[in-house]
Amino acid sequence: MSISSERQEPGIAAPVERRARRRRRARDRLSFGEFLVFLAPLLIFLILLYGMLIWTFYVSVADWRGVAPNYTFAGFKWYDMMFDLARFRQDVVNNLKWLVIGVIPTVVVALFIAYILEIGSIRGVENYVRTLILYPVAMSFIVSGTIWSWMYQPDRGVFNTILRSIGLEQFTGRFITNPDTATYWLITIFIWQYLGFSVIILQSSFRTTELQEMIESAIVDGASRLRILLQIIVPNIRGGILILVSLLLISSLKVFDIVYVVTFGGPGFATDVLAFYMVVATFQQHLVSLGAGIGVIIFLLAFIIVIPYTIYAFRKWFE
Amino acid sequence: MRIKSPLYTALVVLTLVVLTIMYVLPIYVVVVTSLKSPAELAARQYLLPSANLQFENYVQAFRLIFPSLLNSTIIAFSVTGLSALFGGLGGYYLSRTRTVFARILFILVGIAIYLPYQAILIPLVQLMARTGLALTHFGLILSYLILNVPLASVLMGTFFLAIPRELEEAAEVDGANRFQIFFRVVSPIALPAYASTAIIIFTQVWNEFLLALTLATPRTQTIQIKLAEIKGSFVAQYHLQMAAALITLLVPLLFFLLLGQYFVRGILAGALKG
Repeated sequence: MSISSERQEPGIAAPVERRARRRRRARDRLSFGEFLVFLAPLLIFLILLYGMLIWTFYVSVADWRGVAPNYTFAGFKWYDMMFDLARFRQDVVNNLKWLVIGVIPTVVVALFIAYILEIGSIRGVENYVRTLILYPVAMSFIVSGTIWSWMYQPDRGVFNTILRSIGLEQFTGRFITNPDTATYWLITIFIWQYLGFSVIILQSSFRTTELQEMIESAIVDGASRLRILLQIIVPNIRGGILILVSLLLISSLKVFDIVYVVTFGGPGFATDVLAFYMVVATFQQHLVSLGAGIGVIIFLLAFIIVIPYTIYAFRKWFE
Repeated sequence: MRIKSPLYTALVVLTLVVLTIMYVLPIYVVVVTSLKSPAELAARQYLLPSANLQFENYVQAFRLIFPSLLNSTIIAFSVTGLSALFGGLGGYYLSRTRTVFARILFILVGIAIYLPYQAILIPLVQLMARTGLALTHFGLILSYLILNVPLASVLMGTFFLAIPRELEEAAEVDGANRFQIFFRVVSPIALPAYASTAIIIFTQVWNEFLLALTLATPRTQTIQIKLAEIKGSFVAQYHLQMAAALITLLVPLLFFLLLGQYFVRGILAGALKG
């Protein structure tokens, strides 16, 4: 790809470039056999995937309730019903909590830790912290949910027991059994689990030569550490932040396992989210068209979140 | 950019202490509890290690989990191997082709990677039930392949982009065809990339819950489902729950501890940072 950007004699440039482009195009062309081997598996899976996505949309405008499929066209009947449901509205509110509180504090704290690691003057700190906060990425939400359920358990759980034993009775809480705050305690698990992941991604975007040089010269100029962070680092790692925010948004939108294993949507449906209600509506209430509709809504939200990210990735990939 | 000043050292140390408590305390309590007897558990001295380590808890938990451990192993390793193979092939195409078709394909793959499973769950269950695949391991393997091969392709493609093309051009001049170039020249160099991709896919499949919950039959139940079941049915028997949780975590955790570098590279490639 470098030929076109190299400087050439004006007279020679055009034919050389044309020849290079022709050669590149010839290299891009695959024979049918090659096409089949390289792309058939990926294509088949993609076709199945998008086929199923369309199928879900089709179910959502059908009239399928009960176990047996019913594809009678019903228009947006189930969407109308969905928007009227108190539970659906509660879910949207809870999902918004997840999107805001699951993402913003995570990014801010991760940025702080990544920065601390960069300016830290103790040797070996970085490897220690990486292992320390990154191990939860190997953990499933079911494992962390099982562990944290016990931490949170109001009566004999770890937090309350420890607080009582050191005489801090007044700080004990009901955690996940209090409908007003339960969602926040679930989000805490998510943040705990994704913090190391976030630090890794931000740290890697610190590591460009240009940025390092800018920071060096800012230090020489005597800029304060906070100014370096806010005025030099943050504006220069916008790409990394965009990626991280997108990944966190999409992960917090998809959260199902934590809710399932820790509270099962309760108390009442205080911690219910769209991803969880979709499964309940489809497989417990057997309102399959309603479930499909919720699935479509989740997809559309995910789509909106992923677009800027995909465009960014696309530009980087084909630059 | 190293700054030596007492204030910053203090800040670093403080951060370290807070993080250590946040990340060591849970796992410490889990390990300690998993080795306690019910009587010791009832004493509620959660921070104190057991005086008499109960390894029987692990034997009991392992007995409960074993069949699903086997299922998860079969499913996760099959999906990992096949995803790495198919992802390598697809990723190579995506990283070496600049046609309009490749560009469209990249967008479709990009959206597919982050597709919430809820958006395809109903048709998938229908397909698996109607074809009877839901009764076999192959049903879950196929489902996970559909969802993970796009990701594996992007991961592998990201790594391939970083491999200089001169080698391939030299092989082309020597008369190698594309398959020879891919399997004999590119893939051997990309072995670390395959390792990273494999670890990411393996962890993802091993830890997956929603599909396993809706598709698995008793014969194909995976380890995550079993753990959720144990948590539900052994209420307040935290020593058993924690032993089971640790067994469930063990395999991916070993990968993380032994092959951490590949893990991190995989995460970064997944964030398209190469």
